[in-house]
Amino acid sequence: MSSTATTRPNGLALFILPSALLFALFFFLPIGLMALMSVLTGNPVVMPKVAFTNRHYARMIGDPYYLEVIWTTIRIGLVTTLVALLIGYPLAHWMARIKSRTGHALLLMAVLAPMLTGIVVRTFAWMTLLSDKGVVNQTLMSLGLISQPLKLMYTETGIVVGLVHIYVPFMVLTLTGVIGRIDERLEQAAENLGASPLRAFLEVTLPLSLPGILAGSLLVFALAISAYVTPILLGGFQIMTLPILIYQQISANFNVGFAAALGIVLLMISLLLVIAYNRALGLVSGQRELQ
Amino acid sequence: MMKALGSSRLSRRRFLTASASLGIGTIAAPYVARADDPTLRITGWGGKWGEIMKAEIGPAFESEFKCKLQTDSAFPYLPKLQASSRSAPIYDVLHTNSNEQWAAAEMGLVEPKIDPKLVPNLADVYPYAVSDKIVGVSIFTSAIGLGMRTDKGYGPVTSWKELWDAKYNGVRGGYVIPVNSLGQAFLMMCGTLFGKGQTDLDAAYAALEKLKPIKIVDFTGAMEKMLLSGEVGLCVIHDSGIYRYDGQNQPTDFVSPSEGVLSLEQVLTITPGSKMKELANAYVNYMLRPEVQKRLAETVWYSPANKKVKLDAKYDAKLLTTPEKVSKLIQVDWKWYNERKDEIDQRVNRIFRA
Repeated sequence: MSSTATTRPNGLALFILPSALLFALFFFLPIGLMALMSVLTGNPVVMPKVAFTNRHYARMIGDPYYLEVIWTTIRIGLVTTLVALLIGYPLAHWMARIKSRTGHALLLMAVLAPMLTGIVVRTFAWMTLLSDKGVVNQTLMSLGLISQPLKLMYTETGIVVGLVHIYVPFMVLTLTGVIGRIDERLEQAAENLGASPLRAFLEVTLPLSLPGILAGSLLVFALAISAYVTPILLGGFQIMTLPILIYQQISANFNVGFAAALGIVLLMISLLLVIAYNRALGLVSGQRELQ
Repeated sequence: MMKALGSSRLSRRRFLTASASLGIGTIAAPYVARADDPTLRITGWGGKWGEIMKAEIGPAFESEFKCKLQTDSAFPYLPKLQASSRSAPIYDVLHTNSNEQWAAAEMGLVEPKIDPKLVPNLADVYPYAVSDKIVGVSIFTSAIGLGMRTDKGYGPVTSWKELWDAKYNGVRGGYVIPVNSLGQAFLMMCGTLFGKGQTDLDAAYAALEKLKPIKIVDFTGAMEKMLLSGEVGLCVIHDSGIYRYDGQNQPTDFVSPSEGVLSLEQVLTITPGSKMKELANAYVNYMLRPEVQKRLAETVWYSPANKKVKLDAKYDAKLLTTPEKVSKLIQVDWKWYNERKDEIDQRVNRIFRA
């Protein structure tokens, strides 16, 4: 009896099957192929003599330029995440705690509205604001505050501004759900026991919202380090990031192997930072299960 | 009676079967109808080139040769050709700039030369169009020179070297050299201007360093917009990028520097694995016909490669339509360049990083 019961297929497993197949087909297979291409001398489908090689990785390690590009990518990702968190957290807290339904709906609309416009359009909008002949510089010059245009575009700051605008909604929406589930009576209890509102927030609400901070930060960081359009348009190709370098290798150098190696490095960096961030936040919050 | 009524009743299964058949039939009908026509897969630019190819030049070719043209205008083309099978390539005819054609030829993705016996119009092209600097055949060329704003009081510009003048700091325009043909050609020009020749890379790098601050873009279309908006005042650009706004009262002009203009060739090649070789050669020959060349040249302001083309006076005055004018063209040794492309890219990426 027991053996029959254990061999019977689980009905729930059938529901997971389509998504598992989808995941395998569109996630594991492409990444596996990318990893394979990064250690081959060419494409085995179209080239006859293909061998294993480590030259793509050796090139990356051997030239400090690529390490600089990797660090620039990480730096832009980290700064974008931090700024998005600083802007997004108060907004998410407000949305989660607002009593008025209309107020909540209006705030939600305000957060979602930018997402209804494409990234390219939004980035072009920033270009019209930040360029030398843009609204900001023209206004400051017409007011006599500056004589030469400020260098707002083609800098890392310009890229971060564009990325933060695009990714703040992801941070807010992730945080709102988590903060909304925190029992307000815990804060009230802290205040009843003599804690100031700030201390109640720092010692009760903030630690309890760490899972939301973790999830939102990881989402924004992953999106920011893989962004292509915004760094290209607002960086004017003068700030090189890994996605731009990968595109250059494929579209202009036709070196798929090296592009694949760069892609694998980008993936590894993301994974390592996710693990490190996860552990750090787990330790800080005392929520060991996060690990 | 009852049975007859019952048999004609629309069951759910019948309805779904009929709907599916109707849907598949509707989607497949155009393909079935055209199944007999051979299809020639080509690449081509968008914009005005794409518009006239779609509206006039392409349909006329389809009608004459009883075939279908399938055009991919989603750049970049070469990685897609690179990923497709050698025996069944994604394109029959590759249309792109010369630097990419050389890379394609090096990888064995395109045939290095066009057979003059199969393309009779090849006999009428200027020597540059089939020179040893060209893979396949150049059907048009643009002149790469300087584009300038005429409303800023800069005064006349006559030399490439004026791009280095400090008065253009902040309004100087150039290209992302790793991805742009004009940028790559300009780098070679820097070697000529400040060193021993096109291949003097050290002189070129030193000159590029001194060119900063410079605004760089990836495509000529972006440069055109920067020039039109006044974001740049003097930039590297091809003549077509200025002349195409003829009649629109734009305060811009093209300058042919005294040291010569660089050649930006529009090149056609045929893929070795193409199953439509005859049609591919016919297409190349068709694109070199004087009437086709004239129509395209007068639409997009490209200089025709066919010597027999007679353009209207307005176009003839500005484009490279005589042996004397064509002799001013400086062709780049793309084979030499491509062999050093990785090294050059790394260096220029460093030079232009913020």
